[in-house]
Amino acid sequence: MSTVRAEHLTRRFRDVTALDDVSFTLEENRIHGLLGRNGAGKTTLMQIMTGQLLASSGKLTIDGKPPYENEAVMSRVCFIKESQTYPQYFKVRHALESARLLFPDWDEEFAQALLEDFRLPLGRQVRKLSRGMHSMLGIIIGLASRAPLTLFDEPYLGLDAVARHLFYDHLLTDYAEHPRTVLLSTHLIDEVGELLEHVLLLDQGRMLLDTTAEALRGQVVTVAGPASAVDELAARNEELHRETLGRYARATLRGDFGTAERAQAKALGLDLEAVSLQDIVVRLTTAQARSGGDATGTRKETTR
Amino acid sequence: MNRVLTVSRVQLVGWQNTVGWPWLLLLMVFAVNYALFLSIGDIEDNPTTGAIASIYIIVFVTSINWITQLLPFSMALSVIRRTFYLATALFLVVQSVVFGVLLFCCQLIEEATNGWGIRLRFFGLNFIDQQNPLLQIAIYTMPFILLGFLGIFVAVFYKRFGLTGMWLLSTATLLVLASVAVLITWLDLWSDIEGWLVDQPMAAWFVGWPALLTALLAGAGYLTIRRVTP
Repeated sequence: MSTVRAEHLTRRFRDVTALDDVSFTLEENRIHGLLGRNGAGKTTLMQIMTGQLLASSGKLTIDGKPPYENEAVMSRVCFIKESQTYPQYFKVRHALESARLLFPDWDEEFAQALLEDFRLPLGRQVRKLSRGMHSMLGIIIGLASRAPLTLFDEPYLGLDAVARHLFYDHLLTDYAEHPRTVLLSTHLIDEVGELLEHVLLLDQGRMLLDTTAEALRGQVVTVAGPASAVDELAARNEELHRETLGRYARATLRGDFGTAERAQAKALGLDLEAVSLQDIVVRLTTAQARSGGDATGTRKETTR
Repeated sequence: MNRVLTVSRVQLVGWQNTVGWPWLLLLMVFAVNYALFLSIGDIEDNPTTGAIASIYIIVFVTSINWITQLLPFSMALSVIRRTFYLATALFLVVQSVVFGVLLFCCQLIEEATNGWGIRLRFFGLNFIDQQNPLLQIAIYTMPFILLGFLGIFVAVFYKRFGLTGMWLLSTATLLVLASVAVLITWLDLWSDIEGWLVDQPMAAWFVGWPALLTALLAGAGYLTIRRVTP
């Protein structure tokens, strides 16, 4: 259970189109990354997914049912967002107590262990927590809820590196023991690169990428070598980025780089390098911006 | 139904700040009043304070906070709007009855001790005193429910339609009231209405009409919350 399916999802706010004809599927029991720049539509998408917002058009279902005002669906969902507000009088333990009451799969022991790891004071008022501690509280609720569909929207604003890695470690270990569908939106792409099994990339409300992390790494490579050889390879693939120095060129290409293609590049005297997930995202979104963001999503860059 | 009860229980989390606080404040107001009238000394007619209104005002404010603070939090924990509304309504009614009974008990003590020994009338206000205990409890309870649903409706309306919506709502309400007043004047009905109002029993003033208004507000709030974004 817990697959999410979106078909032609569009959401408009007055003069802004936050989501533009977005379709995708979240597979059950996988960790998905929702990437994209600020204002790309990540939060809007998650809000629609949790019935907090309605789409202007299109359809989104969780296990085949729309989540909006659907008790059965929503009791299996947990949505932690960075800007979460708590009632003014709430202390940390009040927030955890509420979560324990509301999430059917809540694991109190796990929550206590996380509290200890993150060193979060139970008796402190939530509004007096520091930015990072505020994020920790959300993360603890998100992890201990054990919800079959767990959404994290930029969950670690203000969190230090140690705490972030604690989060990754706990997420991975707990996910291995209690598989669930996770959607994690983040800016810190390199940090979570290893964590993600599936990558969704939003840009200006459109879905630029919807692929497994594995496939993506095979799709995008950086080739370096004589400009003429780079040209030859670039002609058959989508060029995302290029740097030239004299007759030497270095280009990031998107295409299908199987064994044959790699051997051919080698024969041309080119070096092939893997591209980090973060670089892929940066290259894809900037290439999109340069081309004026046309809707087709695939085009070639020729001039430089 | 099960889920509604669970969500109601979330409203009891940190109850000292929501349910306890109005009573602490009432107690403090009472203490001040008591000290004041004790220092004035013996007074001819029963001093009546009206300070009991403070607890009603706090309940009104609390009900607004349910929507502005507890609703976004509960929705973040995957509670749907409908369940939240039902749970809040249930909580409000139960709390109001409990508060009503408590106030009634205080009034009984007040009578038994001859106004706390100084003939002070703090909980009982002469004009609302009834012979029938159930009616007396209802008179204490109903304003809590009305104010609660008023607060909920206003806050939900604000969340749904924003400042512009609030402005339109208040202007429209004023316009309607003013037109009714003009119409009554034009038809020369004021004396008839006055007579009718005076004829209304106290129970209608504090229970019957508030109940009708409450039903309208509760219904309007329910319809409005269905499309609220937290």
